[in-house]
Amino acid sequence: MSSPPPAGIRVRALSKRYGTIAAAQEVSFEVAPGEIFGLLGLNGAGKTTVIECLLGLREPDAGAVEIEGIDARKNPAEARRRVGAQLQFAALQDKITPREALGLFAAFYPAAARPGDLLEQFDLTAKADAPFDSLSGGQRQRLFLALAVVNQPQVLVLDEPTAGLDPRARRELHRLIIAMKSAGRTILLSTHYLEEAHQLCDRIGILHEGRLIATARPADLIAGARATPRLAFRTTQPLAAAAVAALPGVTRHEPMADGWSLSTQDANRTIGALGQLLATGGNEMLDLQIHRPSLEDVFLELTGRAWMETTAEEQR
Amino acid sequence: MIRGSAIAGLLRHFLLTLRLNIRSTQALVYGYLVPVFFLLAFGSVFRADTPPLLSQVGQLLTITILGGACFGLPTGLVAERERGVWRRYRLLPVPTGGLLAGTLLARLVIVASAVLLQLGLARLIYGTPLPLHPMQGIAAYFVVAFAFLGLGLLVAALAGDVPAVQALGQCLFLPMIMIGGVGVPLSALPIWAQRLAGFMPGRYAVDVLQRCANDPRGLAGAGFSLIALLVIGAAAGIAGNKLFRWDAGRRAGRRELAWAGVALLAWLAVGCAALATGRLKSVLPPGGGYGTITDAQMESITYDDLTGDNELVTRLAPPFNPAQRPAFAAEFAAKLRDWPPGRVADAAQRVRHLLSVAAIADISADLHEAEIGRVVFEELQLRVDPERLRLVLAWIILQPDEGRFLTRTPELGLRRQPPEPLVRERSIYYAKKYLGRLLGKIRD
Repeated sequence: MSSPPPAGIRVRALSKRYGTIAAAQEVSFEVAPGEIFGLLGLNGAGKTTVIECLLGLREPDAGAVEIEGIDARKNPAEARRRVGAQLQFAALQDKITPREALGLFAAFYPAAARPGDLLEQFDLTAKADAPFDSLSGGQRQRLFLALAVVNQPQVLVLDEPTAGLDPRARRELHRLIIAMKSAGRTILLSTHYLEEAHQLCDRIGILHEGRLIATARPADLIAGARATPRLAFRTTQPLAAAAVAALPGVTRHEPMADGWSLSTQDANRTIGALGQLLATGGNEMLDLQIHRPSLEDVFLELTGRAWMETTAEEQR
Repeated sequence: MIRGSAIAGLLRHFLLTLRLNIRSTQALVYGYLVPVFFLLAFGSVFRADTPPLLSQVGQLLTITILGGACFGLPTGLVAERERGVWRRYRLLPVPTGGLLAGTLLARLVIVASAVLLQLGLARLIYGTPLPLHPMQGIAAYFVVAFAFLGLGLLVAALAGDVPAVQALGQCLFLPMIMIGGVGVPLSALPIWAQRLAGFMPGRYAVDVLQRCANDPRGLAGAGFSLIALLVIGAAAGIAGNKLFRWDAGRRAGRRELAWAGVALLAWLAVGCAALATGRLKSVLPPGGGYGTITDAQMESITYDDLTGDNELVTRLAPPFNPAQRPAFAAEFAAKLRDWPPGRVADAAQRVRHLLSVAAIADISADLHEAEIGRVVFEELQLRVDPERLRLVLAWIILQPDEGRFLTRTPELGLRRQPPEPLVRERSIYYAKKYLGRLLGKIRD
């Protein structure tokens, strides 16, 4: 009986401290071959530390890291040959062109992809000879993705690849990441964007203050959340608080401009009763929004902090 | 072991570094325009020299190499590190040292091109002759560049960002330019600055490059300067390599910073060695003559290296008792009085000729060597007025390579013909013994 193939990435009890700060504490996870695993967390949660230890850019204090079964701490050169990476805090020289950059990086590997093919694959042919400082944010990130696969690795580590990109460029990058997964690659993706993690990742690990506090499929994480659906609606005439509170299934209600925001255990029944209430009183619904529980709710439950608030704070 | 693909990668990185340098306006300005500016600045001052600018070639090239190595190299490295380029390089399957070596090699080529441009333009604009010893000049360039690139690497390792490179680079550049014998010639500096320059690599760089430009002996005799540059370069290079950071976020710890101390110790060791071996003598302006000797330069002469008057070399009899003057002394003094070389018009040359007599007698171990030494001293005081004699003796001591010393004086009864360097050396010793007595530094 043959043994199962090794995990694309295996991290065991990884710990790293910077002075008194524990950047990573006993972090363990596996990324199966062909899987996209999302590492989700706020700034300072430890995502970059974990990724840097995994890539051999930092020496962990304890723990083990394997890339396709190769011990990255004992054999870093071989591990590096098997992994492709796009780093968050990395750039290229201002005047280097995509063709030169791909040619340079390809030259270090015995079985590298052809730069011309990569330029085409990542839609950079038109900019092949343009200096790096003239490329847009999206083009730069596409170039970094191309550089990450220049050694034709089966394992990819992408550290916030879509950070700072406009929605269109982000969608384009999502397409490329999905294409890389379709090609059978194992991908570890760290991201700030919950929607992106939900859309792209097969599984998600939530990092908080250096600890991996949850690991599961996005749908399973949401299904396990205690959060209930939320309804937000506006009406032509004001509704009394008591009438809203009396709607079936409602557990919480808060006023908002020209309407109410409420949590319900049974969205269908609540909406039905709300329609009847409005018709009886000659009132009219201006708009109605249904918010299903999301990763944001999961994050709030697990960390006690709201994702939107914390990311807004960080941006400030 | 580095694989073939890694070597191909490193070669590509080296060539790409050269190409990117040409594309950078900043690199072109600092790498080529600034050296041309220095050439024109020197040219405007020294174009009337014969031949023009030849005596400043060592200084000019040192400034170019110093600028390229201590500013150009670290600015490029730190800017790339700040951008995260080296962070990305770190993921390549080659040691960072290989990429660093490629960067240093590229800088060596870039600075060499600036040096060639400077020499070519000097020839074209001012008619400055090309270096007398081109092959030795290439060797000297490698040694000087090695020293300064080592320092540049250390600056890159220590500086947190590009402005810090400028600050640290200026800490190296300005002292060497102003008081290190690079921008302002050593001979124009006060004695204390000349001595201090012995602790800086700039002085040695100018020395070896200038020798290749116009000294008939080339690098012969430049051993100390070459070794000084190699020691300073090696210490800085090792420290720079130990401290080099590929990530802008990393800071060197205290233990690592001790390596910077090692680099500075090399400067100190070189300076102390130069001082201990008497290499930090006062440097006088070429062709300035003994009249330019200052009190400070006179005071800078030391007498610790002299042997006793009754020892084997440079023997000197005590002053004669006028009532009992030895017959030999009277006879030799009479011969010396009619001796034509002792009567030449040039006071400095006259003194050199008379010193040669004492030196030949000493080297020949003449039966009366001590008395001859004394007679020469008496004759010097008779033939040259006291103030001038002091200046001439100081000039001869401080400019030991200048002038002509005699090696044959059979007309005075001294039959042996010792080699010129030996006569020169012993003459300088006698000059010191005489000057020391005239200044009251040595009891007679």
